[in-house]
Amino acid sequence: MVSASASETEPSPLSQEMDILLVEDEVLNRWLFAEELRAAGFRVVEAGSADEAWAYLMAGGKADLVFSDIVMPGAMDGRDLCKQLNHKFPAIKIVLTSGNSGPMSDVKYERFLQKPYHFDHAIWIIRKALRT
Amino acid sequence: MTQPTILLVEADILIRNPLAQYLRECGYQVLEAIDATEAHALIGAKESSIDVAMIDANAHAETAFELARWIRQNVPEAEIVMIGSVERAVKEATGLCEDGPALTKPYNHQAVFDLIQRRLAARKRHQDSEK
Repeated sequence: MVSASASETEPSPLSQEMDILLVEDEVLNRWLFAEELRAAGFRVVEAGSADEAWAYLMAGGKADLVFSDIVMPGAMDGRDLCKQLNHKFPAIKIVLTSGNSGPMSDVKYERFLQKPYHFDHAIWIIRKALRT
Repeated sequence: MTQPTILLVEADILIRNPLAQYLRECGYQVLEAIDATEAHALIGAKESSIDVAMIDANAHAETAFELARWIRQNVPEAEIVMIGSVERAVKEATGLCEDGPALTKPYNHQAVFDLIQRRLAARKRHQDSEK
């Protein structure tokens, strides 16, 4: 694993009570990153699709930040989820990731992370996004 | 010491997430799979063995029982628990929690059941309002 670049200041540790909604259809990526996030002190909700993530939130599930893949099967993809979050849950921070598409201009989010990413860099991005 | 591992195969995030969270707080490592395909991928990737497989028998019954048979043949040390209802799932999770590695149990299993029921009811209200 590679750390975030030295020029970037390390965000201070966050409370261990932060909830990350991790939306990823590739199960091994989801599992491995979820375990890294838990080891870093976050509570993690694993969703296998944007539809699942939306169902969780609409049923009252808590999330401080949504970390979502963009290209996923189902009625919604990551971009649709982002749009819905902007509209219904504007306080939730969003970090998007993809290996197939780039940053988007028609939705609001904190950061875009190109796949493949290093877990410790992604966690650094998440901590920073939660601080903004 | 490695944590005992539970593979939880449940298609509904509103049931899977509270159960997984509860079992983690009871000291288990929990692998969450939405379906049999994901379960196979997780079993193949996990270096150590699976101690318990909790499988939702409701959504895709045939696939669920095929998965159970496959686990019995390929991971014979794993205990297999078929869960067919929220009540049964919470009851089985409670039993696992009592035998789990955490010395301090996280919260009453009734809280897990209530949380799942609340979320299922909220989803139903939302679905009804969309009609």
